[in-house]
Amino acid sequence: MSSSSSSQSPASRSVSVDPDATLDVSVTINGDTHQLVIEPRRSLADVIREDVGLTGTHLGCEHGVCGACTVMVNGEPSRACLMLAVQADGADITTIEGLANDDGSMHPIQQAMHEAMSFQCAFCSPGFLMSTVALLRDNPSPSTDEIREELSGNLCRCTGYQSIVDGVETAVSLINSGGAA
Amino acid sequence: MTDTQDRQRSGLGFVGQRVKRVEDERFLRGAGTYVADVQPDGVLHAAFLRSPYPHATINSINVNKASRLDGVAKVFTGAELNDVTNPFLPFFMLEGLYTPLYKCMSDDKVRHVGDVVALVVAESRYIAEDALELIDVDYTELPSIASIDDALTPGRVQLWDKANGNVLGDIDASYGNVDEIFAKADHVITRTLDCPRQTNQPMETRGTVVEVDPQTGHLDIHNTSQAPHMLKWATAALLVNEGGFKNLGKFVKNAERRSAFLGAAKSFVTTNKEKLKASDPAGQKSQFEKDKSMVKHQMRMASGLLAADDYPTVKAVDIGGAFGSKGPVTREDIAVAAAAKQLGRSVQWIEDRVENLQDGGQAREERFDVSIAVDADGTLRGMKVDAYLDQGAYPAFPISSAIIPQLWKLYMPGPYNFEAFELNTKVLATNKGRVVPYRGPWANETFMRERMLDIVAGELGMSPADLRAKNVMREGSMPDAFITGPSIDETMSVAKTLDRALEMIDFDQLEEDKAAAEARGHKLGLGIASYHEAAPGPPNFFSSAQPGSDMFLYEDGRAEVEADGSIKMYTSQSPHGQSHQTTYMQVAADELGVPMEDVEIVWGNTDRTQFSFLGTGGSRGGPLGAGVMRMTAREVRNQVVEVAADMLEAASGDIEIVDGNIHVAGVPAKGITYADVAAKVATDKRISSGAVFSEEMKYEGVGNGGWSVATHVAWVDIDLETGMVEIPRYLVVEDCGPIINPGVVDGQVRGGVAQGIGAVFYEKHHYDDNANLLSATYMDYLIPTAMEIPEIDIEHMETLTSGENDARGTGEGGMIGAPAALTNAVSDALGVEVHEQYLPPYRLLELAGVITPD
Repeated sequence: MSSSSSSQSPASRSVSVDPDATLDVSVTINGDTHQLVIEPRRSLADVIREDVGLTGTHLGCEHGVCGACTVMVNGEPSRACLMLAVQADGADITTIEGLANDDGSMHPIQQAMHEAMSFQCAFCSPGFLMSTVALLRDNPSPSTDEIREELSGNLCRCTGYQSIVDGVETAVSLINSGGAA
Repeated sequence: MTDTQDRQRSGLGFVGQRVKRVEDERFLRGAGTYVADVQPDGVLHAAFLRSPYPHATINSINVNKASRLDGVAKVFTGAELNDVTNPFLPFFMLEGLYTPLYKCMSDDKVRHVGDVVALVVAESRYIAEDALELIDVDYTELPSIASIDDALTPGRVQLWDKANGNVLGDIDASYGNVDEIFAKADHVITRTLDCPRQTNQPMETRGTVVEVDPQTGHLDIHNTSQAPHMLKWATAALLVNEGGFKNLGKFVKNAERRSAFLGAAKSFVTTNKEKLKASDPAGQKSQFEKDKSMVKHQMRMASGLLAADDYPTVKAVDIGGAFGSKGPVTREDIAVAAAAKQLGRSVQWIEDRVENLQDGGQAREERFDVSIAVDADGTLRGMKVDAYLDQGAYPAFPISSAIIPQLWKLYMPGPYNFEAFELNTKVLATNKGRVVPYRGPWANETFMRERMLDIVAGELGMSPADLRAKNVMREGSMPDAFITGPSIDETMSVAKTLDRALEMIDFDQLEEDKAAAEARGHKLGLGIASYHEAAPGPPNFFSSAQPGSDMFLYEDGRAEVEADGSIKMYTSQSPHGQSHQTTYMQVAADELGVPMEDVEIVWGNTDRTQFSFLGTGGSRGGPLGAGVMRMTAREVRNQVVEVAADMLEAASGDIEIVDGNIHVAGVPAKGITYADVAAKVATDKRISSGAVFSEEMKYEGVGNGGWSVATHVAWVDIDLETGMVEIPRYLVVEDCGPIINPGVVDGQVRGGVAQGIGAVFYEKHHYDDNANLLSATYMDYLIPTAMEIPEIDIEHMETLTSGENDARGTGEGGMIGAPAALTNAVSDALGVEVHEQYLPPYRLLELAGVITPD
């Protein structure tokens, strides 16, 4: 460690990039179909944010831990930072922008999170909302423990989670009382 | 009793209500404007080449291959950007402290893993990162300073040539007759307590988007800054790229700028006469003894600022959390701005998570050698502390971690009646990431003191609760001031929170629960911790820390009614999760007598808001930020009432405003609106837009206390087989005075406690013995999830003083109390003394004697 020999940065190694290598991808996002020409290496999250312009999907860690980038891909919650956009060819995707009701009013989960004052900085909120959509679809009346476990793939640094859990529980009662879209 | 207090107490109006967040309308729909969402047409993307070594000299750097890559606009070496920028200068100087100067990039030496060496600007982030791999840097590794012990060892490699070894600061404070108290006390109890490195880790990393106006060259900087005005002026100053004489020539020729400057200078000196007189030149002397170059740089930057015709605009709309880490102006902020200016093109840099873990802000790696003098009956007499603070490589700008000992010296004796106190702090340079403020930057004083109180209680055979109850400052015998200087009033209500917490603990049940846990192969324990914090503190708080340092610490705000009757409130705060928009609307709407939705809060644009040194930080957004909203709104209401009284042919004292209806009391049917009154004034003044009523203020708060206090109680249940911890109950009894919005306060408290739970059981920023960062991903640095954070019970006390009250801050407190309460609970559960803050499963099992340390 204390030797004084010269060394090259371990980061420097040769790469070859063909900027012309692109693929045609067709993807439906929030009901709109987009024909995109994209480099195979680009992540789904970057394409949603930059090419489609839907910036509601957030990137928190870009290594699949924080869950902020969670979107629904063919009905399944997926980490858009870990998925290549070309893998989504032909897929039906829902992002946070597609969650509201057709008349523009908030989805019951959005309403409930508002009621419960669930978020603070809200950077993590798109991921939590999409994960909650999947959770309540698969388990319409989860216990508190189930909620905490199911949402443990999403990190929030502001709230201590209690208000988010309250939000999910509020959503359950809203939906069960007929507030569902 | 004032009108506002009346409403606070009666529950009328918006203040005090759990008003749901206005911010949600955009956030919950994915329509926020975070920095990465700002994507101007044609923007270029930046990526930094960072050092893989903790400590090395840079022999050469070759960017030829990288520069030739398709899509690369420019590769800047450190030397190139350093040529066109000025160094970060110390803003906060103390006797016994040396703050090294450094530039926005490293060109001769790297001092930590992640140190910035080159900057690529390209058409996409992907191409920029490709180019990073084509840059060749020839380094010679140096030995590294990886720990407090390394930094204290004489004769080791130095990070900074002009320093004495790696001890950059040696700072003393003493109150009372310490030697006499220690000689006379029945016992002196001495321990060493440790806290490892943590990192703030907001969910949004740092970022900056520098837009360059192709015509004028004006910079619009969209940034995650907690302190946009500081960033604006720091950027302007650090980008000054002409010599002093040339600048002075320009300034002398610019009559308008000259008179504006001289006027502002005169007003500043007049306003702050006493404070300027009080400032201590010893800090500057200490700095100059090591490095005199500061004056040269100051002259160059000052003359450049005077000569300039245009300064950057900083915009910070929505920020994804910060916890202190986005307060400082960073090297990347300046490097990206310099690159954009050089290229004349807009450039975006969004930090990735690995970069954020390397240098986005770290904190709390501190050690305390502490002695407490105590009598046999449990009377606390004196405290002596030798503290060691691992600052990492580059001191934060504008305020380095050397602010921490200045806060420690005021806080450390806590809410207890110590007669004497002495603190020596050594600020140490190591080859690690930058230390920044982290939610209660001084918080380890509470961990240290409250942990020690339990140890003292154990030595004396007392219960921790009894020791605290005996020594806590109580109404009736409360002194007027702490021995460390700051004033005390009834807001120092720690005793009330402690008494209430003790009432809420069922000690009989606790014994039963302990026995039941034991039967399951678990250990259960309870820990208590109390603290006070200045939020905002009394008027003499900052001058007690450092004479003259209160100069910039007022809060600016402005209220306006425009020609069309619309109401705008301008704040210099930079919200990043604290619900400023909602709470300030509540406060202003109550004062103005209008529905909340009639009030627009304006923030985050330095062209529209007044200067603020701190922006959002220090739990000041409630007391001072909301305070100036209240006071300016009140004044504007008075102006409106004067005109309305004329219009309604009544005395102004008879005018009421309810739900936006301005009327003579008792005659609401004949009311007029803000729009009517504004239109009248606009017509009289022959204007059709802009402000018709306006009030601007520098607010320093009311009262002679401003203390925000709490007692935390933690119950922990430790599984002796796995070392895993559950927290069956967590109680916070807090007193932040009149609450503007309980939903917001509860969120702040719980979020702070969650970070404290993380600090104790999950989070440690690991560097190895050579200062290589081991926890560079979220697989290694563990942020607690919904599985680890329990429900947190909160009890509010809301102590009010006579006269008008400001809200008191509550943003930091959760994190101040939690590590102390949790480590005390672990100690109680296991029946052993705990001397460190970080207690992961393996350590708990070692402490429990289940496994043997390596």
